[in-house]
Amino acid sequence: MEKLVTLWYGSGAYNLTLGQAVMIVVGMVLLYLAIAKKFEPLLLVPIGFGGILANIPEAGLAISALDQAIEVARPAVLQQMASALGAALDPLAGQEAWRATLKALVDNGASPDQLRAAKDVAMNVGYGDGLLYTFYQVAVASGIAPLIIFMGVGAMTDFGPLLANPRTLFLGAAAQFGIFATLFGAVGMSAMGWMDFSLEQSAAIGIIGGADGPTSIYVSSVLAPELLGAIAVAAYAYMALVPMIQPPIMKLLTTKREREITMTQLRPVSKLEKIVFPLALLMLVALFLPDAAPLLGMFCFGNLMRECGVVERLTDTAQNALINIVTIVLGLAVGSRLMAESFLALETLGIMALGMVAFAIGTAAGILMAKLMNVMSKMPINPLIGAAGVSAVPMAARVANKVGLESNPHNFLLMHAMGPNVAGVIGSAVAAGVMIKYLG
Amino acid sequence: MQDFELLEEGLTLMALGMGFVFVFLTVLVMTITLMSLLLRRFAPAPVESAASGAARSAPPAQQDEEVMAVIGVALHRYRQRHRR
Repeated sequence: MEKLVTLWYGSGAYNLTLGQAVMIVVGMVLLYLAIAKKFEPLLLVPIGFGGILANIPEAGLAISALDQAIEVARPAVLQQMASALGAALDPLAGQEAWRATLKALVDNGASPDQLRAAKDVAMNVGYGDGLLYTFYQVAVASGIAPLIIFMGVGAMTDFGPLLANPRTLFLGAAAQFGIFATLFGAVGMSAMGWMDFSLEQSAAIGIIGGADGPTSIYVSSVLAPELLGAIAVAAYAYMALVPMIQPPIMKLLTTKREREITMTQLRPVSKLEKIVFPLALLMLVALFLPDAAPLLGMFCFGNLMRECGVVERLTDTAQNALINIVTIVLGLAVGSRLMAESFLALETLGIMALGMVAFAIGTAAGILMAKLMNVMSKMPINPLIGAAGVSAVPMAARVANKVGLESNPHNFLLMHAMGPNVAGVIGSAVAAGVMIKYLG
Repeated sequence: MQDFELLEEGLTLMALGMGFVFVFLTVLVMTITLMSLLLRRFAPAPVESAASGAARSAPPAQQDEEVMAVIGVALHRYRQRHRR
């Protein structure tokens, strides 16, 4: 009978907290959106599943060996860890109180040496870092996974349309206004006392407006790791919603006549130009914004591999096998941040709301910039392609194309929209660099 | 008072960031334009001019444009399906 009771105490059903149950449902919802609704399935399937794994009670997949030991270890081990941390446990208080004391000590108060000693104790009795925790440390906390994905994106990106019509870079720049307006919005919400975001957190939230998953994850891993889960989920969810968020804004801000504008055909771009471009971009980054070097450096590297044409095997790996592997690891690692304690907070709602605003403002700014350019220059620009300035490659460009076709069935804007679209990628990486420079 | 400071910092970062993004991309536009000019002057692509010359003689330009656009979309969709 006693054995049975022990088994029951160790079971998930006994230990499940309300928060964990809610987060498991959230994970299921993400899986539903990914599988049934096809919302960015490549990322939301791993993220949703990772979120479920991270919330399995007692399993500790998403926490370090030390935290895991504190949560489930026997009293004798707790005593040992307490002595390693240089604290005494009150023998009268119960086990739960001991665990709370240790947790508080580890979170703040213990020196790095003490933490290492306590971790050794935990490791010695057989506790190990959780799988998702390890993924997170290796892939996301180090910044590696988003950067490798960026390299893969570089290897997939054709800069031809951009090189043929470099002015579309301005559209990509204008759409980044969404990032900074959202940053200001987050700061404003804190100033009004609705939320409590620091400037770093506001910047990380703003970058959702860049509509660029890897950039968002990279920036928040540097500036606000505690919000990473919510930010990544918001970024990918809204990227999937681009076809629903953008068209109403596009139609609101343009007249039918503007939407019908046909653009002159793009000139062919030579291979040499395409090879020189990533190198030129890299030089500009080196000269003006070294803080964007990790992101844009990997991006340029991937693109150079693609365009130079002599390392096809590497290009193939970067844009297929490697990016797929990293996507799995990154998705699970991001999912591990969907733990109840950190995700179920008012802040998450704020982030979701701000993320939506970021997309909308970015889209509007891109369109307005295109209209402005139309007034100032002779070459006609269809304002719809301005909306593609929020990166979300290539979804935003396809949306611009689709809305254009609705007004004029013979007007294919896709290639024209790819220009601002990839410009948006560069623009949001530059914006990320500025923020990291200013706040990092 | 601290709230006011936070707002001010946010505003500064917004102006600075937006300004920098524009300056950087403007410089990039100039660099690309210059690069394209130089490359096209000093290293014109021979294959390309021959190809476009041959293409020009064949079908009427308008149809050509349309076909190009259709191919572009098809190619794009194909890539869409097979990557990432």
